[in-house]
Amino acid sequence: MRPGARKIFGFLTSIALSLRVVGAWADSLSVTVLKIDGKPLDGAVVLVHASGSQRSAAPVRAVMDQLNLAFVPDLLVVPAGSQVTFPNSDTVSHQIYSFSPAKRFQLPLYRGTAYPPVHFDVPGVVTLGCNIHDTMQAYIVVTDAPFFGRTDAKGVWLLADAPRGHYRIEVWHPRLREGDALMRELDLGDGAGGTIEIRLKHALRPAPLSGHPHSWDQY
Amino acid sequence: MRATTRLPAFFLTLGLALLSREASAFEWELDVDGRLVSSNGQKSAMSGGLGELRFGESKSGVQLGRARLALSQPVGNVLALHLDASYWGDDDKSPVDVTEAYAEYRPYPIDGFRVRVRGGAFYAPISLENRAAGWESPYTLSSSAINNWIAEEVRTIGLETQAEWLGTRLGHSFDLSVVGAVYRWNDPIGGVLASKGFGISDRQTGLFGRVGMPGVAPLRGREPFHEIDGRTGYYGGLELRYLDRLTLRALHYDNRADPTAYDARLNDYAWQMKFDSAGARYESPGGWTLITQWLQGETYVDAPASEREWPFNARFFLISKRFGRHSLSARYDDFSIGFSINDFDLGEQTGHAWTLAYVAELTPNWRVTLEWVRVDSNLKPRSFYLGEAPGAIERGLQLAVRYAIGPGVR
Repeated sequence: MRPGARKIFGFLTSIALSLRVVGAWADSLSVTVLKIDGKPLDGAVVLVHASGSQRSAAPVRAVMDQLNLAFVPDLLVVPAGSQVTFPNSDTVSHQIYSFSPAKRFQLPLYRGTAYPPVHFDVPGVVTLGCNIHDTMQAYIVVTDAPFFGRTDAKGVWLLADAPRGHYRIEVWHPRLREGDALMRELDLGDGAGGTIEIRLKHALRPAPLSGHPHSWDQY
Repeated sequence: MRATTRLPAFFLTLGLALLSREASAFEWELDVDGRLVSSNGQKSAMSGGLGELRFGESKSGVQLGRARLALSQPVGNVLALHLDASYWGDDDKSPVDVTEAYAEYRPYPIDGFRVRVRGGAFYAPISLENRAAGWESPYTLSSSAINNWIAEEVRTIGLETQAEWLGTRLGHSFDLSVVGAVYRWNDPIGGVLASKGFGISDRQTGLFGRVGMPGVAPLRGREPFHEIDGRTGYYGGLELRYLDRLTLRALHYDNRADPTAYDARLNDYAWQMKFDSAGARYESPGGWTLITQWLQGETYVDAPASEREWPFNARFFLISKRFGRHSLSARYDDFSIGFSINDFDLGEQTGHAWTLAYVAELTPNWRVTLEWVRVDSNLKPRSFYLGEAPGAIERGLQLAVRYAIGPGVR
């Protein structure tokens, strides 16, 4: 190959590579999660892991409030490195804890006192509880995935602009039975878009009971 | 110092400690519960009779159900002090008395395990219906025969340890806990059961209170919370929970009393009490609650030339349906007490009861309850002590309005 031709070929190759990295030939991805009976699963967490050089999503500052003896929201998805504050909007004290491997911490929350945020660096599911009020439970899903979200009432989550590449899609829900963690792999980038439908193999665990007065949980 | 006189000093100290703490996370709650009563029942124990309802016919009209003050004070991060004091509007020994007073050590869980230690005076984890503040039932005004008996003369005054495995925080569907306690100061236990039998009421005996009227047989104002033989009793139990749907409990109780030990000042023996209890509570997403409890045991005194043994058993079934802030509940109780000396009209009782209740928890502050109770009981001490027929069908209708204030109100 002549030097000039090699230069041109090298130039074109570098354009192709850079286009691949910055996201030319972007594709859409649709993930649908269905329960064992075929009905849509609302609120399922969808994590889209990239196999290539894509960076994880940028850390954020998020809030996990305590209101009427409940965590609000009951589930947060945050990129690894994020900071979450626990403001305690209740008039009573709480003692927030997690013994999940992804983040072990204890945080006593007295009313009217501000506390520094908690850092979540390690990917994984962090189960939150309150040592005073055992009915309180919530989850923080910490992820290093570049794309993530939650399914809507139709059980669908849509990613409009996924760069070309090979992806591993992980679905999680607090009420999944043990061992029902769900993974799929697919390639995106030929312009046809990606569609994934996941149907659970097991029935979900029953949803927490709602609505009975807090005065009932004293003994 | 005698063991019995040490107790007031302990609670006085605890009370002062509660009041003297800074007000940071201090919580209090004050409730007043007024009643409109219509009853055909016999005179209750607190009025000197052997009726099985809290309010007999002579108490029909306006009554005080309960005035209650509860205090809770954290000390540092994982220790808290609790005090529950009530006035019941009847002729008790001390007008305001303490139903529970204890310190609770509750460290954060580690790797799914948690330990909880309670020291002081409190209810053993037996009842599955008395789950609300003040050990009240959210389903009915009056407790079942089993739990009414516990309210009358069973209290742990000692040290209890509970070890829990929090499976639901580890992605499993179950939590499991094991409980064990050592206690004293409850030696006259079983005396109320042997004299008055089971009843259907919401009256809880205070730690310094009495059951019955002084001088009026057979109860004579029994004081259940004293130490007589210097022996330590124990109980051990298990609790299994499936998510927040199903709770199962079992407990074995043995006060290891010396049934020959006699206290002249109290004119009472140490009653040797052993019982087993089990129960289940199921709650459905549609607002249905089902509760059943079972109790079987015996109490025994060995007075000179007169060994006396009372085997007893009781059970109940409760079904409740909640409609938002309103609920309807029905309960069936069945109970019986035997006596070891056959041709002597003491102690024996057979009976059953129906309870129907409507509860409106309008706000966390206001609660309105309408309850109807019918107790059909054959109690031999009625003929022995009162010269009356042993059998009686007692009915009571109560309308209760409770108002609660304070930061501790949920």
